[in-house]
Amino acid sequence: MKRNKLLLIIIYSLVINSLFHAPSHAQVQEKISGLFPGIPFPRFTQQVTSMTDYRFYFSPDDLQDFQVNISAKDNTLSQILEAVFDQTDFKFSIDSEERVFITKHQPLDLKLAKDFFERGNSKEDLDSLNRQTDIERAYSRNKLYVIGNPSSQKEATLSGKITGIETGNPVFGAVVFERAEYRRAISNEDGYFQILLPVGRHTLFIQNLGGFIEQRQISLQGDGILDVAIEENIISLSEVTVSSDRMTNVSRPEMGVQKLNIQSMKKIPAILGEVDVIRSILTLPGVQTVGEASVGFNVRGGAADQNLILYNHSTIYNPSHLFGLFSAFNPDVVESVELYKAGIPVQYGGRLSSVLDIKANYGNNEKIRVTGGIGLLTGRLSVDGPIGERTTFSLGARSTYSDWLLQLLEENTDFNDGRASFYDLNFSMSHQLNNKNIIRVNAYNSNDNFRFDRDTTFRYENLNFNIGWTHYFNERLEAELVLGRDNYAFGIEGRDNPSNAYDFGFNIRQDFAKIHFNYDYNFRHKFNFGVQSTRYRLNPGKIQPSGLESIVVTEEVNQEHALESAFYFGDNIEISEQLTLSLGGRYVLYHFLGPNTGRFYTPGLPISSTTLSREETFNQGDVIQTYHGPEFRISGRYILNNISSIKAGYNTGRQFIHLVTNNAAIAPTDIWKLSDNNILPQWGDQISLGYYRNLKLDRYEFSVETYHRSLRNLLDFRSGSTLILNNTVEQAVVRSEGRAYGAEILLRKNTGKLNGWVSYTYSRSLLRTAKDEEAEKINNGEWYPNNFDQPHNAVLVGNYEWSKRFSTSINANYSTGRPITLPVAKFQYGGSERVFFSDRNAYRIPDYFRIDLSVNIEGNHKVRKLAHSSWSFGVYNLLGRRNPYSVFFTPVNGTLQGYQLSIFAQPIPFITYNFKI
Amino acid sequence: MRICSLFKYGLFILVTMVSCRDPFEPELSAFSTEVLVVEGFIELEGESIVRLSKTSPLQSEITGNLVSSAFISLSDGEDNRWDFVELEEGIYSLEGSFSENSTYFLHIQLRNGHTYRSEPLIPVISPEIEVLDYIRDEDGVEIFVSTRGTEAAQYFLWTFEEHWIFQPGVVSQLIYENGTVRRRSEQERIDRCWDSNLNPSIVLQNAARFEDNRILQRELVRIPNLSEKLTQRYSIEVRQMAIDQSAFDFWDILRRNSEDVGGIFSPLPSLINGNIQSLSEEVPQAIGHISMGKTSTKRIYIDLDDVFPWPVFIPEYEFCFVLNDTIPPNLVSTQFASGNLIPARDIFNQMGALLGYRASNRACTDCTLRGTNVRPEFWEDQQ
Repeated sequence: MKRNKLLLIIIYSLVINSLFHAPSHAQVQEKISGLFPGIPFPRFTQQVTSMTDYRFYFSPDDLQDFQVNISAKDNTLSQILEAVFDQTDFKFSIDSEERVFITKHQPLDLKLAKDFFERGNSKEDLDSLNRQTDIERAYSRNKLYVIGNPSSQKEATLSGKITGIETGNPVFGAVVFERAEYRRAISNEDGYFQILLPVGRHTLFIQNLGGFIEQRQISLQGDGILDVAIEENIISLSEVTVSSDRMTNVSRPEMGVQKLNIQSMKKIPAILGEVDVIRSILTLPGVQTVGEASVGFNVRGGAADQNLILYNHSTIYNPSHLFGLFSAFNPDVVESVELYKAGIPVQYGGRLSSVLDIKANYGNNEKIRVTGGIGLLTGRLSVDGPIGERTTFSLGARSTYSDWLLQLLEENTDFNDGRASFYDLNFSMSHQLNNKNIIRVNAYNSNDNFRFDRDTTFRYENLNFNIGWTHYFNERLEAELVLGRDNYAFGIEGRDNPSNAYDFGFNIRQDFAKIHFNYDYNFRHKFNFGVQSTRYRLNPGKIQPSGLESIVVTEEVNQEHALESAFYFGDNIEISEQLTLSLGGRYVLYHFLGPNTGRFYTPGLPISSTTLSREETFNQGDVIQTYHGPEFRISGRYILNNISSIKAGYNTGRQFIHLVTNNAAIAPTDIWKLSDNNILPQWGDQISLGYYRNLKLDRYEFSVETYHRSLRNLLDFRSGSTLILNNTVEQAVVRSEGRAYGAEILLRKNTGKLNGWVSYTYSRSLLRTAKDEEAEKINNGEWYPNNFDQPHNAVLVGNYEWSKRFSTSINANYSTGRPITLPVAKFQYGGSERVFFSDRNAYRIPDYFRIDLSVNIEGNHKVRKLAHSSWSFGVYNLLGRRNPYSVFFTPVNGTLQGYQLSIFAQPIPFITYNFKI
Repeated sequence: MRICSLFKYGLFILVTMVSCRDPFEPELSAFSTEVLVVEGFIELEGESIVRLSKTSPLQSEITGNLVSSAFISLSDGEDNRWDFVELEEGIYSLEGSFSENSTYFLHIQLRNGHTYRSEPLIPVISPEIEVLDYIRDEDGVEIFVSTRGTEAAQYFLWTFEEHWIFQPGVVSQLIYENGTVRRRSEQERIDRCWDSNLNPSIVLQNAARFEDNRILQRELVRIPNLSEKLTQRYSIEVRQMAIDQSAFDFWDILRRNSEDVGGIFSPLPSLINGNIQSLSEEVPQAIGHISMGKTSTKRIYIDLDDVFPWPVFIPEYEFCFVLNDTIPPNLVSTQFASGNLIPARDIFNQMGALLGYRASNRACTDCTLRGTNVRPEFWEDQQ
């Protein structure tokens, strides 16, 4: 047999041993008595094991046929083994934990690798030492595997196979590396790796991408094989997930990144029992919303249109159902969610504030699995699994059957023609063409349809499709090419009466192509670079008559076309173990294209219909306006010690597409506008600094991040401007500049029965009319708070696991009320009573406070069972606090009376049943 | 815009289903100062009126808050100064003749010493109103204006005054006086009155949006079916002012802010300022935009004949009728002296002898309770 010279490690015994091994208590060796009359060596070890705490490690191939023939009476194991192996080639060694290693030719070297204690000894920090021992226990790092036969070689090749502990499947893309010499290798699609190392003691780290780190102590004596089983899937066990997060907080080079996996999202009590991606990220520091029923969210003082929401490469323009009551992502197919608040990776661009990267799964490769859930308003079902050897898929659907509930709620109102329904569908498929090529396909569709009376129906829809091809050139270079199309549309059907029946429509379509390369140049440099291009076609609005009797005049705002392209290059540089830099740059090019009519205004004068100097017609393909410029993505991490690090970053961005709204909240019928020769692209930068520390053996993780952002060319709206069906939007806007700054403090406990996080965010977001904007000076050109400026925000998410099957969660949320412009006085003018408003956003609505509670009950975990099920029930807004969403004034008996409107003014109970087959 | 308002309405209903509405009384302590409000138009020829008032707290019952004893004057760039006189509380008047080619300033000094000055006023000459007419349609009568702007006059503002004749629920030509009932004289008529509606609203239009700066059939006001305005004869006088863009914006903001106050998805309210700057420190800018120029006015009459048939319904007169009891002449003083009943019909027997009077309530017969029986000076009777 080819491997007969090699020491085979029996993985099963390793794992068992590492999990259950007892601490050493054998200063005095145990005495053994008994007769072993010519039995095979493995049998002998079994007998000894049954009598004592010793554990044996040996190659069964070598010792299968070795006979033990000895009689012992109160002898130590060493004495017995010395007698047994006398005159043979076998050597043994026994370590302090009563592990017995039997090797050929040479006894196993039980001394530790030369770098083993380097770090631990040099640190006096108790936490640090505790952490070392913790990790030792967890990872059995002090086990030594002797590999290969001694030879005169200086260097030897270690090869092996990496498999998943649970599935036994080969793990593709796991990194094997050695620290002292900085050698590394990556496992191929069959799990095999090969690494050339100097002969001697080493500490090997084996990491699944983005996941769990395994460690092995080896004594490499010659060429050999080491097979390793590692945790394959980081979300397969929640404990393991936590460990991976544990690693990243302090050590990952980016900052301002928040990751939530679906497991932690499930623990957050959700409105109406639906696990909700957007609501979950709202519990993270630095993410806020203007109200409970608003579509967008605000990251670090940025507007809602400055978030790039990606769902497996698709840009989602409206991520909500039912005005934002639900987010439009089916929790069963979502795998993880990553939010970049700063340090946006170089491959993303086009939005100033954040990137929300939602990863949906492509299906497991073991068996067809059906998951679903039934809640008060929605039902969902998804199927995923393999089709054949190389293909997996995931298909999900979700829909409302909510009308009965709406009608129940309506009973006390004089409103009975309302309808609201939505659905979303997703399909993802991954096909492995061969070892080097993978094709992935994604399709997504979400649709909302609602009306409040018989007359007017609103609908909106996201429709996305993309296809990606991943190619592995070699172990170090991979590329991904993605082509796709994203559509977003909304429409209003007015059927008030036949003579003014109309259809209003808006839609945006973008076709994109991007190619992204990852190149592990060497251990110190990892490059990523690529090119991307997006072609926009935007229909800003069209109204047309519906039916023969309608006299509505067709009106259409000119279609807009643009091309946004970028190329980028980033380098992650590991300067030393402590210092890592991530340097990246993008160069973006934007062309506003014909056919369209370009309007040119007299320079230096405020843009208005009177300063329009000329109009020019452009044909298809003509470039009306070009913008271009660089963007920088720079961040660095310095590890202070094992448990703490500091990070700093600076990045800039440009945004060419703007949401045109002058509401406080975002309505699903707000239109988007592309930058043209009059509407300049938004520009923003952010400088941030953070401190990260893990406490109490990594049980707690603590971070403080501060940031300052500057924003230019934001759009604010001139007093009394009309935005819908406006062909000259530039005449309705004022150019503003923004400033946002704040600090985010997060304390998170990841392990134990009680887990969760507490966060506090201080953030300000201010606006000011640009100095050179002459059209209108809002608040006399002074800084004023943005509509979503909520300085204080505190969130508590707590989860207590009473048992594996029963857990309770609590979510408490406090934030300062958002700013509002209030009427402060009245006067007579033009024959009527008028109201005089305060300065823009000079007042605030009352503070917001809410507590939600939920209970999750898992079904039993028997492996062979038809369906795994779980129940989730709880109460949203437990205290029934009437949190104001909006404030409005209306005349009552001749005087203006103010009212505050609360959307979820009472405790709302919910229940959901989830199942998995 | 219609789409927006539909949407707002819609959302509001959804929200009410699960929501609550509670009174909200914000502490507005920060806003304690009263702001001066200036309204008016300076005519190149004839009388100009400027009205001064102050803002009042939102919840207060006060509506007028007029400012008297202020000193208002108009100046040109060359040391000429014309002073306004206060006609009545808060109403200031100036008669004069000014050049359309000069630039003027309005100065205001309040009794408390605060002074204000307008930005330069550049007179704008309004073209004549080309057409002032009406259309009868199924919903009533629409009154519209057509005009043609010029390069200098593109933004238009219209104000209007309506007068009309109405009749009470019960027509009476009798009067009780000193123990007897007699026929009313022309001056004593209570069966025909004039009511009016002065400057009820403003109408704005930008002519630049149209070819040739032509404004066609801009609706000014609508008389709904059953309105008493067309009982007999109706008259509207429209004043057309050409204003500059900043004045137009001011009026437009004013209009929008009043239409839609702080709804959920309503546009953010806009700040109102105008062109009257404060010269005193710590004193906020006044609200108001004073324009100057030459206005154009036009009056039309609409008669019942023009829109016939025009049924009229006046809620106040819904339950009016002549009482059945006949009051004999010897009882008139006891019945009519209090003034609550008014003799409406005189009843004669077949021989022509007076039997007595049938009466009706004063509220049903006396139109002067709701209007005036004095014919407006300009009023022309139907030919």
